[in-house]
Amino acid sequence: MSENQNPQTNQRTVTTTAEQPRTTTAGETDERTRDAWTAYDFDGDAKMTVEDLDVYYGDDHALKGVSMEIPERSVTALIGPSGCGKSTYLRCLNRMNDRIPSARIDGSVRFDGQEIYQDGVNLVELRKRVGMVFQSPNPFPKSIRENIAYGPQKHGDLDTGLLARLLNRSDAAERDELVERCLRDAALWDEVHDRLDDNALGLSGGQQQRLCIARCLSVDPEIILMDEPASALDPIATAKIEDLIADLAEEYTVVIVTHNMQQAARISDQTAVFLTGGELVEYGDTDRVFEDPHSERVEDYITGKFG
Amino acid sequence: MAGARPTDTQLVEDETTEADATAALAIGVSATLFALAVAAMFGRITLTGTLAGVQTVTLLGGLLTVLGLTVIALGAGSRFGYVESTPDPSAGLIAGVGAAVPWALIGGSVASETLGLGTGGGVVGAVVVGGVALAATVLPREDVGSTGPLGALLVVTGLVFSTGVIGPTWVWELGWEQQAAITADFLIPVATLFTTLYGGWASAKAYGGFGARGRHMGAYVLVYLNALSIVAFLFILVAYVVVQGVPGLLTGFELGLGTGPETTIFGVSVALPVSIPFVMNGVALLNDFQGVLPAIVGTFWLVIGAVLLAVPLGVGAAVFLTEYAERGRFTQVVEVATNGLWSTPSIVFGLFGFAFLIPRFGNGKSLLSGMITLGFMLLPLVVITSREAMLSVPDEYRDASAALGVSKWQTIRSVVLPAALPGVVTGVILGVGRIAGETAPILLTMAGGTFVPGSQTVDVIGSFQFTSAPPFVANPALLEATSALPYQLFALITAGVGLGSNVSDPNAFRWATALVLLVVVLSFYAIGIVTRYYFRRRLKHT
Amino acid sequence: MAQVNTSRSDRLVDAVGERVRRARGFVDDTDPAALAVIAVMTASILAALVGFLAVSDWTIVPFAVFLASAAVGWVRYQAETAYTIALMMTVSTILILGLIIVFIFRESIPVVQYESATVFGVTVPGLRMFLQPNWDAVSPPIRYSMVPMIHGTVMVTLIASAVAAPLGVSAALFLSEIAPTTVREVVKPGVEILAGIPSIVYGFIGFTVLSPWASDQFQTTGQGSYLFVGIVVGLMALPTVVSVAEDALSSVPESMKSGSLAMGTTDWQTMTSITLPAAFSGVSAAVLLGVGRAIGETMAATVMLRGVPRLTEPLVNVFYGQETLTSIIARNYGEADGLQMDALFVAGVILFITVLVISVGAQYIEWRMHKRLGGEV
Repeated sequence: MSENQNPQTNQRTVTTTAEQPRTTTAGETDERTRDAWTAYDFDGDAKMTVEDLDVYYGDDHALKGVSMEIPERSVTALIGPSGCGKSTYLRCLNRMNDRIPSARIDGSVRFDGQEIYQDGVNLVELRKRVGMVFQSPNPFPKSIRENIAYGPQKHGDLDTGLLARLLNRSDAAERDELVERCLRDAALWDEVHDRLDDNALGLSGGQQQRLCIARCLSVDPEIILMDEPASALDPIATAKIEDLIADLAEEYTVVIVTHNMQQAARISDQTAVFLTGGELVEYGDTDRVFEDPHSERVEDYITGKFG
Repeated sequence: MAGARPTDTQLVEDETTEADATAALAIGVSATLFALAVAAMFGRITLTGTLAGVQTVTLLGGLLTVLGLTVIALGAGSRFGYVESTPDPSAGLIAGVGAAVPWALIGGSVASETLGLGTGGGVVGAVVVGGVALAATVLPREDVGSTGPLGALLVVTGLVFSTGVIGPTWVWELGWEQQAAITADFLIPVATLFTTLYGGWASAKAYGGFGARGRHMGAYVLVYLNALSIVAFLFILVAYVVVQGVPGLLTGFELGLGTGPETTIFGVSVALPVSIPFVMNGVALLNDFQGVLPAIVGTFWLVIGAVLLAVPLGVGAAVFLTEYAERGRFTQVVEVATNGLWSTPSIVFGLFGFAFLIPRFGNGKSLLSGMITLGFMLLPLVVITSREAMLSVPDEYRDASAALGVSKWQTIRSVVLPAALPGVVTGVILGVGRIAGETAPILLTMAGGTFVPGSQTVDVIGSFQFTSAPPFVANPALLEATSALPYQLFALITAGVGLGSNVSDPNAFRWATALVLLVVVLSFYAIGIVTRYYFRRRLKHT
Repeated sequence: MAQVNTSRSDRLVDAVGERVRRARGFVDDTDPAALAVIAVMTASILAALVGFLAVSDWTIVPFAVFLASAAVGWVRYQAETAYTIALMMTVSTILILGLIIVFIFRESIPVVQYESATVFGVTVPGLRMFLQPNWDAVSPPIRYSMVPMIHGTVMVTLIASAVAAPLGVSAALFLSEIAPTTVREVVKPGVEILAGIPSIVYGFIGFTVLSPWASDQFQTTGQGSYLFVGIVVGLMALPTVVSVAEDALSSVPESMKSGSLAMGTTDWQTMTSITLPAAFSGVSAAVLLGVGRAIGETMAATVMLRGVPRLTEPLVNVFYGQETLTSIIARNYGEADGLQMDALFVAGVILFITVLVISVGAQYIEWRMHKRLGGEV
């Protein structure tokens, strides 16, 4: 494969050995080119493999034939203008789209090699392993401690109920240990360690979002999906969250949707670009995609010509 | 450490196992038992009769025992590893209390009656046995705790019924001053019903593999059953009234040209082609068939009068509250007053009408007092729904109108009120449905004239006259004590007399009255619900 | 910069001053002729009201003046007239409630004085009604005790609540969280239609079908039991509980529920740990309103109960049903006169106050919970 740039027209062409160069246009990218641009070779295992994913909301074709492999223990960013299917795609990975009555999903999503869109899949178990942080912080109207202990308690891993206390089987010590660990991992411990029994709704926006991340960590997921986690936050809180994500990627696989391209460039290892109509147009190493995108539409988006 | 958890829960489950099939079968058995118990309660099947070749009691007992053993087996299968399941360490306090209650009842009754230990012994027995059941539920692992005590309950109950320890002739005299006894006719179906609910719940938990999913299944079974029972209850109730009421409604029914009464339409005298004496006649000696026409006419005028009073007042108040007034003391007081009116019991409205309106309108029961009392009852509902309707008109409409230089009142009149009209109309229709069925308010203010001939139905419009003395305008028809459908039914139940020998079946007459009342009221409700649905869909599409 | 710590009286004076200023502004802005018309309307309606309260035959005169002036105002000064009429209508709601309170209290005074009891040397009017359990309107000593009726109302309400609360909340959960759309479209109108069935129809069915059956099943002498009246009233209060609770449950934000589900909990866990606690105030209000409805239920109770005011023996005997606060009024209004009629008004007062307290209590709970959730509505 070789690459040429025509200095007069600034047109990029990618020439494969066996094919004619396909020049980009402002319209839709044809499938073969797209497949070439979204094929991403990486070392290591794919944590999640998506093949030919189509999503319809009623008659609206929200995602068109997306295929992608997500490497483990790294940060994958999904960028693109609003309304082009990034959040829809993210919600397919933990089957949260099932909650929407008009949604229809075709295609395959494999998590550690197991297909998650087949009969007999235990959704509860799936969502234990694939965690999610939402765009607007959504802490429960409970105390900070209870928010973090919620997941393990509901899964039966922690029992601090009345009966357990009566029978002296309470896991209160383990619970407090878990709460501290998760809050430290989410860089929130220092700010709230002295008021763990206060209502979580009393925290600031940035703190609430970090609490949601801590809550997500409490069930020990393998993948963390983040849907524009910092979009509702101020720059300082955003910076804290970005640092946090970099740390998280050492242990977890992180997939993050963001409309902030600089953020994607800063924190992700690989970037996927979705453009209008629910198309995945390009996917590859972050540095490469930002410095040297194959697609002209992607280049236009990145340089701010639209979106 | 991410991903290093030794999970014993699979992501993808195996195909349906025999255990699943067994649990599903158990749920089916409990559903059958539920239906049989309900049928026995309503007398459709008798305890001493035979069903599928076996005496009913024995069949019920046998099925209960089988269900109980199955439940225990499901628990054991999970406990000893024959079945994949995810039980919690304990079944929890709720399940514990749930199991303890029936066992406590059994323990208490056995101690006080069978062992003759009296009330004190009964309490001790209840506490002891209940306590054991509680411990047996919460101390072991969830799969054993959820199934053991409940399965045992089913087995014991089943054996008691099928071996005749409590047979069809069993009676327990309570020995009270006002005597009462618990008979087998009551106990056997009811006990079957409740124990089978427990059985179904435990089986559903087993089907879901215990743990959080099992509890989810168990809860869903009960919640679905509850919802469907409510709908079934409604259906049976209405169907029963229809079946009982139609014969009375159609006595003397005739179809054909010239069979019906004469009426004048557009100045032409026409005989209606259908005759339904029940709704076309009153009660008179010379009638072939008696009817409730005066009551129908009474209800009609009541509703009209109440609406004429309540709708302008209510809409006016709502307009002021939403458009003119600012939130403050005054609006708060009005809100409290409206809520107070809305929650006041209907009989209190009747008392008020009696004390306030009757002395001021002819010193006796009158149609007018009834109208005004019902109007007062309808008022808060109109205020609340009109306010909601007006609040849901977007401010953009008002702003756009104001930006065009239109005055506030004009905006209200031309923009807000028309937009709020659907909501107001729907609220009024539903409110009318409610007051059309009310008896208590009209009992004290209006009720009378239950058995009058059809020709004497109250003629409101034709009775207006001017008088020379104050108050200068009178309407004797409005000041008469008249009947309305709810009161008619009440009078028939309590008095029952006065129908004369022309009514071949007084009971059918009563049911027919109930049916007509039900049809009138439910029609209003149905129309109200449909209009609300229609308007909401229109709003969604705009 | 305004002072931060204004006292309550200062604020009240400010508020009144503001009102006066606004009224003066209104007067200045408005056409004097329009003001005159409004003045005439106000004066005439007040006169009509006074005349009506005084049971005067001449009430029609000021009322006619009101109608005439309103007509004139509508034609010439519609905006001002509309405002005035709307204000009058709003005031009327307060007025009606006030009249209800005044009149039912007023009618009950004579019998309250009759039924006085002396406690520690102090004569407390009405106390004897609650101290001794005999109601005898016929033979001396004539006593109008409220105790049997209160007992009856309590029994019926307890049983009705035991039916309506769990079944109602469960049905509300079903409608708002569990039911698929098609099922919901059938069940929800079904519950609303259930609310529409008139109480006299329930009473009729209970009287004709249920009471004879119950008397047979429990081998009681005669028909009429608190147990079955309670069950019927519970079914009547059920739709109230369902609709209010369902509104409360539906208003829990979807984001909270999604947050729970995304962590790997079952739907049922989300409902019990997140949705129900978040909607707790609304659901408690729903139950309270259902209880209020049960307390005020008249016709089913009247028709199905025995009508002899006395305490059941023993007190917990649910197989016999005597009389409730509502049924004694409905049953005796015809023959009652004088003190007995007044005693019925006392029952009405007790009912009114109880239901008002419950309704206000339900509103208070909702208000408190709104504050507690950090100001989130």
